Amino acid sequence: MSRHQYAMVMDLNKCLGCQTCTIACKKLWTDRDGTGYMYWNNVETRPGLGYPRQWDRIGGGWKDGALQPSPLPTMDDYGHPWEYNYEQRLYEGKKQPVMPSPEPKFGVNWDEDVGGMNEDENYFFYLPRICNHCTYPACLEACPRKAIYKRDEDGIVVIDQDRCQGYRYCIKACPYKKIYFNEVTGKSEKCIFCYPRLEKGEVNACAAQCPGRLRFVGLLDDPESPVHRLVLVHKIALPLFPERGTQPNVFYVPPFNPPKRENYGKSILEDPRLPLDYLVYLFGPDVKNVITRLEAELKKAQEGGRSEVLQLLIGRDAETRFHIRPQLVQIQT
Amino acid sequence: MRTPRLAMILFVCSLFPASVAQTEKKSSAGQALSVAAVSATADTLLREGQAQWNQIAVKRVALNRTPPLFDTDEPTTLEISGVDVRVARVSGNLLVQLSWRDPTQDAVTLAAVPDSPPEIRFRKVQTEANDRFFDAAAVMVPAKPGARAVYPSLQMGDADDPVEIYYWNATRGAMLMQAQGRGTTKRTGQGFPANSVYANGQWNVVFELPDLPTGTPVAFAVWNGSQKDRDGRKYFSVWQVLE
Repeated sequence: MSRHQYAMVMDLNKCLGCQTCTIACKKLWTDRDGTGYMYWNNVETRPGLGYPRQWDRIGGGWKDGALQPSPLPTMDDYGHPWEYNYEQRLYEGKKQPVMPSPEPKFGVNWDEDVGGMNEDENYFFYLPRICNHCTYPACLEACPRKAIYKRDEDGIVVIDQDRCQGYRYCIKACPYKKIYFNEVTGKSEKCIFCYPRLEKGEVNACAAQCPGRLRFVGLLDDPESPVHRLVLVHKIALPLFPERGTQPNVFYVPPFNPPKRENYGKSILEDPRLPLDYLVYLFGPDVKNVITRLEAELKKAQEGGRSEVLQLLIGRDAETRFHIRPQLVQIQT
Repeated sequence: MRTPRLAMILFVCSLFPASVAQTEKKSSAGQALSVAAVSATADTLLREGQAQWNQIAVKRVALNRTPPLFDTDEPTTLEISGVDVRVARVSGNLLVQLSWRDPTQDAVTLAAVPDSPPEIRFRKVQTEANDRFFDAAAVMVPAKPGARAVYPSLQMGDADDPVEIYYWNATRGAMLMQAQGRGTTKRTGQGFPANSVYANGQWNVVFELPDLPTGTPVAFAVWNGSQKDRDGRKYFSVWQVLE
């Protein structure tokens, strides 16, 4: 375990699927050769295929202290990046319509807003995903080159590009499939939790740009930080697939959706529009307790009381949502 | 990871006489590899010298397949049982040709990356595939050349006896690496002259090394891309001693 641990909480009730975080990340980090298909941050519709396709059913992670097998996703699972023939249409006077090439067959956010059906009602929600900067990273254990390390000062997991040889054991080991291989450089890459920004006291680009204000960032071990309060004090944020054993440091406030049509007033646990089984699949059985707690907070507010939890989740300003303290995590020399 | 590593050590040790199986090292009663003195130039041998190479005595060096290194590795089979080695000393260089049968040529030409920085270009070079691995081969020599009582560890040398690895990759070319034990291999950033020809289901790869004195041990490795070889997932020989 690292001396400190940066963490992020995302309130899924507030995510509008606008992909501003995705673009903020892409413009900053993956606008280079070989990185077209890389989305260190992506937002996927759930239930859905995800990115890469069916990543949640491929494998990886830990079981009984041992790494679990997994195939390597192929480019078909990511979708081959396509370009449009603007030059021919606009500059060379060809009359053909503007068309993408190669023909798109899959891509990031491919099944946006499709979701699922619960009896006769459609349901879906958005799941933004970055690297979980796990406490026990399977990728780190899988790398025979010792190219992956977890920064002792802040718990951020990074790939040393000088040591990486592109063996891709890490991609197989990661149960969240959040590492990408760059064939141009022959090395693998992943989310760096914007550590160069954090070191200057700036919050992650995805969190800074989020119009829904759903991201909270700080040190998990800092009692002043919003992530500490949401995860450890109020206990209303859960990691994704906790049973995969890596102990993620990205947490989600589960979607607190309304009950089904014509059942207003009922508890989500009584008649959920979003099948509870699916939330349990994503966040583990503790999600029921979290929803119960959230429901109690909502009731308190609806009855005219003040809910500190809801006030925190509203996150009106950056000071509430972000607690970046570079001086706390300086490397001691 | 401890169990597979132990299995690896035991497997490598099992290749050697029981008396030295306690350590990773081996006494120098090795396998001889003759070095031919030839009149052809290094450049001829490197670029177009198959006729000359054919006049040089060939030694068939047996290749071993590493056992699965990780619990999660898929099982694998021995598809390449040996490599034909020819060694010639030419004007201060040692030229080594490795030839082996491989029905699949796992090599591609990657798209050229323009000189201009990506941020000023509208189009970027794209990753075409993320699950392909390429054929490769390597010659490992001690960083301190010469005869010795004890060889470096076959697993990329050791702290006392580091190694240099002349690594050739069918797609990414030749690069010189250094190592002092398993997991320590690093690129030096330097290349070295190498040439490869794939024809009729066979690789012929020529490595140009600096000259090495008689008695220096050398070892060889082959990676088969179609078997998803990379890292320690490969074929390897035991040390051969230059005569």
